Amino acid sequence: MTNAAVRIRGLWKRFGEQVAVGGIDLELPAGKFIGLVGPNGAGKTTTLSMVTGLLRPDEGTVEVVGHDVWRDPVAVKARIGVLPEGLRLFERLSGRELLGYTGRLRGLPGAEVDKRATQLLDVLDLAGSQHKLVVDYSTGMRKKIGLAAALLHNPEVLFLDEPFEGVDPVSAQTIRGVLERYTASGATVVFSSHVMELVESLCDWVAVLAAGRIRAAGPLAEVRGAHPTLQDAFLELVGANGRQAGSDLDWLGGGAPR
Amino acid sequence: MTNLTGTVVRLKLSLLRGGLRQSRGRRDAFIVSSVLALLFALAQLPGMVLLSRQPHGEVVSVTATAVLALGWAFLPLFFPTGDETLDPTRLVMLPLRPLPLMRALLVSSLVGVGPLVTLLLLLGCVLVPARGAVGWATAVVALVLALLVCVALARAVAAANVRLLTSRKGRDLAVLSGLVIAIGSQLVNFAARRLGSGGLGQLRPVADVLSWVPPASAVAAVRSASEGSYGIALAQLALTAAALVALVVGWARSMTRLMTTPDGSTLQAADGGRAESRRTGGRTRLLPAGRTGAVMERTLRYVWRDPKTKAAWVTSLAVGLLIPVFYALQHTGSVYFACFAAGMLGLQMYNQFGQDTSAFWMVALTISSPREAYEELRGRALALLLITLPYAALVTVLNVALLDAWPMLPRVLGMSLALLGAMLAAGAWASARFPYSIPQEGLKSVVPGQAGLAWISIFGGMLTAAVLCAPYIALTVWLAQGADGVGRTWLLLPVGAVYGAGVALLGLRLAAPRAAGRLPEILAAVSKG
Repeated sequence: MTNAAVRIRGLWKRFGEQVAVGGIDLELPAGKFIGLVGPNGAGKTTTLSMVTGLLRPDEGTVEVVGHDVWRDPVAVKARIGVLPEGLRLFERLSGRELLGYTGRLRGLPGAEVDKRATQLLDVLDLAGSQHKLVVDYSTGMRKKIGLAAALLHNPEVLFLDEPFEGVDPVSAQTIRGVLERYTASGATVVFSSHVMELVESLCDWVAVLAAGRIRAAGPLAEVRGAHPTLQDAFLELVGANGRQAGSDLDWLGGGAPR
Repeated sequence: MTNLTGTVVRLKLSLLRGGLRQSRGRRDAFIVSSVLALLFALAQLPGMVLLSRQPHGEVVSVTATAVLALGWAFLPLFFPTGDETLDPTRLVMLPLRPLPLMRALLVSSLVGVGPLVTLLLLLGCVLVPARGAVGWATAVVALVLALLVCVALARAVAAANVRLLTSRKGRDLAVLSGLVIAIGSQLVNFAARRLGSGGLGQLRPVADVLSWVPPASAVAAVRSASEGSYGIALAQLALTAAALVALVVGWARSMTRLMTTPDGSTLQAADGGRAESRRTGGRTRLLPAGRTGAVMERTLRYVWRDPKTKAAWVTSLAVGLLIPVFYALQHTGSVYFACFAAGMLGLQMYNQFGQDTSAFWMVALTISSPREAYEELRGRALALLLITLPYAALVTVLNVALLDAWPMLPRVLGMSLALLGAMLAAGAWASARFPYSIPQEGLKSVVPGQAGLAWISIFGGMLTAAVLCAPYIALTVWLAQGADGVGRTWLLLPVGAVYGAGVALLGLRLAAPRAAGRLPEILAAVSKG
């Protein structure tokens, strides 16, 4: 048994002329809370899609818990949970129906699906809206029901693309609690975000992605290095530290005479 | 007070002008449609004058008034964005009293091409029955009343449904509107053909009832007054006026409610769809366990709940029934037209994954072998068969009964089953090989750039289905020939059933490995909507 949850080698993806992911080599340790950070357009979603088998890479290999994603999908798909960003759910089902459907597609017995769904809906604070159609859910509720669907089959590795984007603080705290409990049991969470404070407070391992390449990867303290916050380290890594939005806008400010 | 009316009328004109300035195409379309509508409205006037000399003229004018009012009632529901002054919640922040506001909105409703065309059409309607001085005087009153009822009806319906129109359900409704128009126009077409052959007198009982339904009752009053039945005329006018008052009162009520209560659409509903889910609990237990049952259940729920899927299904069901039945009623059809039902419903198997939209990722993540892809496709095909098999059988029996061709039943039913199997096979394969996105908003069914793909999928698939059916058709022709042909043709039913099932299974088997091997490509193709 290898102790890497995900092993990526030479991963490339081009869309026409544009290189979305330009040769990523990365090993993500098992049992950690891992943050994949980067500015918009860095290739986070593309990378996660290729790692989870939703997008075919141009080159490179991906192994999840020792199994090749493209050569051994049976072993991989049973072991991963995914919450993508920008893709729909089956929104004309109610929250509970969506979980029932997902669980049965995963091959779980009906009674077990019902039990797990009830518990997940309770923990994620969705029990009151479980019979409402997902199309009428708010963003936070959608993320939570997506998370429930991803956790239903008790995966070894969970991939979450921007799980906190557009989520209110209460739902965010609920999601956080569930994820912390999940990793405490030895499972791996890989999530992407561009909110550094969040990553810093949640993750113990970080990979910084910019322009389709890995700029730094390792335990949080190592990536942060001498910088006071991850935000500072990140800005330097992606080369945005010199940009000061100050002097040109000298007219801007409250109380100025009209 | 009149100041407000003037302001709202000017607001309406500015909105109209602003809307037209948005794009050249929109302006041209508006001008062309306005000119055509006005020309039509003007052209019908001499037609109505001619009609007034016909024995059943007033029957037409009463019915036409009722249809016109129906149009006014439904148009704001189907085209909620057409007139922004229809939505009083936009004015909610302004310090306005309901009564002056309503007067202003009612007057502004009378401004525009639509009301002008309606005025001309109603003028034609009251022209037909008008005779003598009293008749003409009544006609003037009737004209005004009928126009006001039409406009107030639209306002009242819009105000009562404004929450619905701006909500998700309202947008769902708008997707279905095209369908209602399409099927409605088929029915009108059929009715017109019947009338053409049977004469206007057939409408008499309908018109007699409509004579007491506002605003058609106003037109009926013109006829009553012209015939000297002043009491009846007065009653009909009074009925119309009462309806107008009732509409305005109802409108005022919903407007006051709208402007004084908060929009509840963002409040959390504790038990919104509770009843719905509970009801389905019993039925789903009848479906098989595991993936097959889950897929069937989801597919069937989507037929009912997803507006796009529902529209496609209702179209298929309606066309599949109407074409054979209409032709059979006119004794111009063939018994084989019953296969339309199987053919139209079989079309639903095409682009299965496109119907999922980008939610297909949830399916893709649970398919890791051709076996699972096969179960997925088979579940979808079974769900389709659950509706299609009884429906196709029903349409076939109905068609055979209408044509009184009972000896043909086994072979037509056999042909339907064989065709259905072939459509399922070709549909499954096309779903895996030529998936395309279905936009979720609006009436379009293909996103720009994928039209070619959709054509290949549907027409290539239909051609393939025809080829797959060819051996069975040849068998039918061969068996039906000869002296003892009729005696043996009952064999075609079991043979058709077995042939259809065999072809369908083969198609699913061939499609499954393709689907399993192309999951990322399918996801990319169906996520463009």
